[in-house]
Amino acid sequence: MRRYILQRLWQGVILLALVTTIVFFLGRLTGNPVDLMLPEDATEEDRTALIETLGLDAPMYKQFGIFVVNVLQGDLGVSHRYRRPVVEIFFSRLPNTLKIVPAAMILAMIMAIPLGIVSAVRRGSMIDRVSGTIAVLGIATPNFWLGILLIYVFSVQLGWLPSARMGTPLHYVLPTITLGTFLVAGFMRLIRSSMLDILDSEFVKLARIKGLSETTVVWKHCLRNALIPVLTLWGVFMGGLVTGAIVTETVFAWPGIGRLTFEAVIFRDYPLLQAVIIMDAVLILLINLMVDILYAYIDPRIRLAE
Amino acid sequence: MLRNLPWLSVGIIAAMLFMAIFAPLISPHSPIDQSLPEKLIPPVWEEGGTAKYILGTDIFGRDVLSRLFYGARVSMIVTALALLVGGGVGLAIGIVSGYVGGRLDSLLMRIVDAALAFPTILFALLLAVTMGQGLQTIVIAISLLLWARFARVVRGEVLAVKGRDFVALARVHGCSPVRIMATHILPNVLNTFMVLLTLHVGVVIVAEASLSFLGAGVPPPTPSWGLMVAEGRGKISSAWWLSLIPGIAITLVVLAFNLFGDWLRDRLDPKLRQL
Amino acid sequence: MKHRGLLTGLLISFVLVTFTWTPLIAAEQKGTLVIALDTLGGQNLDPILETRASHAHFQAPVFDSLVGFDFEKGGIGPGVAERWELAKDGLSWTFYLRKGQRWHNGDPLTAHDVKFSLERTMSKESVASRSAALRRNVKSIEVIDDLTVRVNTKGVQVHFPASMSRAVFQEGQMMPKKYIEKVGVAEFRRKPIGSGPWKIVKSVPGDRVEYEAVDYPHWRGTPKFKRMTILLVPEESTRVAMVRTGEAAIASISPESLKEVKSAKLKVVSVPSTMQAVYYFWGTYRDDQKNNPIADKRVREALSLAIDRKQIIDHVMNGEARWPMPFATFGYSVDMDTKKWRKWSRKALRYDPARAKELLTEAGYPNGFDLKFANTALPGTPYMVQIGLAVADFWSKIGVKVKYKHYEWGAFRALRRGQEKLRGGASMYRTAGRPVAVARYMSGFHSKSLSHLFGNTKGDKNICPALCKEFNSLHKLVVAEQDDATRTKNTNRMIKLVADSWVAVPILEGMGYWAVNPKKVGAFKPIPGRHEFGDVFERMPLPGQMAWK
Repeated sequence: MRRYILQRLWQGVILLALVTTIVFFLGRLTGNPVDLMLPEDATEEDRTALIETLGLDAPMYKQFGIFVVNVLQGDLGVSHRYRRPVVEIFFSRLPNTLKIVPAAMILAMIMAIPLGIVSAVRRGSMIDRVSGTIAVLGIATPNFWLGILLIYVFSVQLGWLPSARMGTPLHYVLPTITLGTFLVAGFMRLIRSSMLDILDSEFVKLARIKGLSETTVVWKHCLRNALIPVLTLWGVFMGGLVTGAIVTETVFAWPGIGRLTFEAVIFRDYPLLQAVIIMDAVLILLINLMVDILYAYIDPRIRLAE
Repeated sequence: MLRNLPWLSVGIIAAMLFMAIFAPLISPHSPIDQSLPEKLIPPVWEEGGTAKYILGTDIFGRDVLSRLFYGARVSMIVTALALLVGGGVGLAIGIVSGYVGGRLDSLLMRIVDAALAFPTILFALLLAVTMGQGLQTIVIAISLLLWARFARVVRGEVLAVKGRDFVALARVHGCSPVRIMATHILPNVLNTFMVLLTLHVGVVIVAEASLSFLGAGVPPPTPSWGLMVAEGRGKISSAWWLSLIPGIAITLVVLAFNLFGDWLRDRLDPKLRQL
Repeated sequence: MKHRGLLTGLLISFVLVTFTWTPLIAAEQKGTLVIALDTLGGQNLDPILETRASHAHFQAPVFDSLVGFDFEKGGIGPGVAERWELAKDGLSWTFYLRKGQRWHNGDPLTAHDVKFSLERTMSKESVASRSAALRRNVKSIEVIDDLTVRVNTKGVQVHFPASMSRAVFQEGQMMPKKYIEKVGVAEFRRKPIGSGPWKIVKSVPGDRVEYEAVDYPHWRGTPKFKRMTILLVPEESTRVAMVRTGEAAIASISPESLKEVKSAKLKVVSVPSTMQAVYYFWGTYRDDQKNNPIADKRVREALSLAIDRKQIIDHVMNGEARWPMPFATFGYSVDMDTKKWRKWSRKALRYDPARAKELLTEAGYPNGFDLKFANTALPGTPYMVQIGLAVADFWSKIGVKVKYKHYEWGAFRALRRGQEKLRGGASMYRTAGRPVAVARYMSGFHSKSLSHLFGNTKGDKNICPALCKEFNSLHKLVVAEQDDATRTKNTNRMIKLVADSWVAVPILEGMGYWAVNPKKVGAFKPIPGRHEFGDVFERMPLPGQMAWK
């Protein structure tokens, strides 16, 4: 087990290095942030002065060298735009995203579990089709549009909920729905196919022969086992959501890291962009690793096979 | 088999393909010519509508119906190309990774893990600002989104097929790995691949819409359903037809492809756990 | 002592009024004014750390500027300094500060603060966009007495005071010398204080800035609201939703949302003359563009005549835009014959497709030609894209085959440097509303400027044909001329030179657009030419105090 973890960590580090290098050079190919910071009547001298102030005058390889040295010491630089250490900015916004992602995942599970079970148990029937349709509705509607529609209906027209930003628990409702419905289909499909597998298995047949009611069989015995593979999906979705809820954060003015990343790209804020991507990658690798370990623990078949 | 075909889904898909292929023939107007004085005309059944523009006009006076048809074409082209590139790469990597196994497999799957959870929208954005907005950019960007999913699922299938007798037989006969992968493994994962393709059409269409929202999608004035929804999103109460009509189109088509894909999966191999 | 009773009475009333005046003001202030914006820039509260105009939203409430606004016409007016004089030899400006100003911590604002602030803005650490320009223009700063400060300039700088106003830039913002020297820069950035009508309460990066009104009278206007919050809400439809529900009183919008806002019974405040949408022709002076149709002035004029500006104003901008004046000039611009130029633009910028086709034929292109066109939009003015699309469409209608390419703003700015990709083609552009047009002309047309639309003499690229040389010499005349009449004459000549060249052509004069919930704030007037409300917040009445029309 320990070897496995170390191996994963090592691979993670290599990947990180690769990703960072790519982002470093890719970002700089897209233009100079200075051009976005200067006013219209700037002269060439103004431009040169600002480049110097921001430290962008060194040749590329030198900048990269400085960057690598700094990273190894834990210093990821200062944002051109915010003039604050990027690490500080990242961690001040991360909690906001972290507040909404679990809520969305839980909502998605609450919706996906009944849909998945019902469609597995009644496979091939009309109910199966209908459940499938409901689940897919979540991914069939572009995220931003759903959010804007929800705001229009529930906030502007009905006045039940606030339209945007963080604040009271009520503020969480619409963003959570927007983010969560996206995940329902994925969860539901997995639960359904897991359930199908298990419903056919020996121990379920045994439980039925023993005379246990269908409800008990399904909900008590099958569901628990069906949920195990869903864990891997948790890892994938979690990582993806934390780093990629750009659209939802934009629509709901939610000050998380998705929006931060978007601005870093648009404004060519290299230090921030690099830092965000590195942090994102670290987060994702950690989440995946934890999920894999958890999975191995819970599913004895895998643990023993390793 | 024909009896159980999900007719509604197939019908919707066929309708979209028809619109896309025959757009130039069936569009009453040009999708990009502007007519500013005729802007924001509502659909024909609303007050103020006219038969000249059945589904109304947008802020430039462009015919929504024609843009819907041409938009189907753009969405279809983007989807086909993205699936070809992303799906193809994913298929290849999945087969190689699954069959060869060992360290290569481990490495590839780590990369897949990272790619799967990575904010691909971010990469799409970066690409858009580096390469400029355009068809190539969006195809590459969305392919990046797809390949990892395909690779992972295909690999899973390959692991199952790998252990079968006829593969061992081929190995004993001295067939080269490449030959085995091409002639024995590939045909047996094609079912999975097809299901994946249909299930991911929706992903591509919706991804394109999100990218248009962020300003990194198909550049104007070319119509695409995603761009139309993005452009009309600020006018929900004053000009609802601008985003609602393409929005419903997207939802219907994605639903149709997904239901068809689900049906396909059930027919071909219901135990496809990984989907 | 005949009037002892009267004197005592007066004294008592004076004391009473003084002591109750302040609490009276404080008692009248109530409520929170909430504003939703699309950007807060880097949300830096230290004036030397912000670069572009976004500061004017959230820094302006806290910091006063040395020179202020003319609230009626737009352009500059008294600020921290109530008046200023140019020395006889033209080499220095003396600023006379108004009395009784103080910092939020009670310290008095003096000439020492002015000197300190300007030097800080000019320092190397400052990323304020014109700090380099200030270093170029300012030789030294002297404190004459507590309320008088003299700025010695390098050469004659006729328009120096304008650059100290937020009507032009942010570099005139005043910072507290004693406070910063006492607590240090880091602490100042954490807990900034200024001399403006609002104090900073809290700033949450990426989310909002909270303010509290000062409870004493302020020369800019004493705030009627007790508190103010500026929110960052990137998505426009969400901003509109927030104004509709009342979660925000005011939100910045674009012409796209105008219909939606009006149909929701909200008010629209359009700030006139905040920007001008223009298009440029790049590299027309180059030898390698000799055979390009756009190198011919007649072709360029034809392209302008092909555009129906009225339609664009009515339909793309929903009527909320105006007929433009010549490039980078507005109703409040100084040193120009406004009346004459308004007449000129009515005629010269008219819609005349027949004449356009005539000119094209004359120039040898009766069947049109291919034209590269780059469309882009700055963050904050997304409707530039729509305007560009409309312009391209008008050009296609007279037979020009437009090769349209859409660029994201950052990518476009990068292109502008070397200009290889832009050469021989046209692109959208815009210019912000400023009272002094000279600087903008400089950056567009001077041979040493970043855009160098007439010629290029940077480094060893010496391509400066006749037009370019003429501009350079005119510019020199205008910048240093102390006599108003002569300067005005030469400025008009400079404008004419550019207008007749048809290289930078105005399309329309745009406005800054805001959606307002009349139940949350009373009627107020914006400052013409200033999109941002940073200097207007204190003048906004409570709902009900001033009725909306």
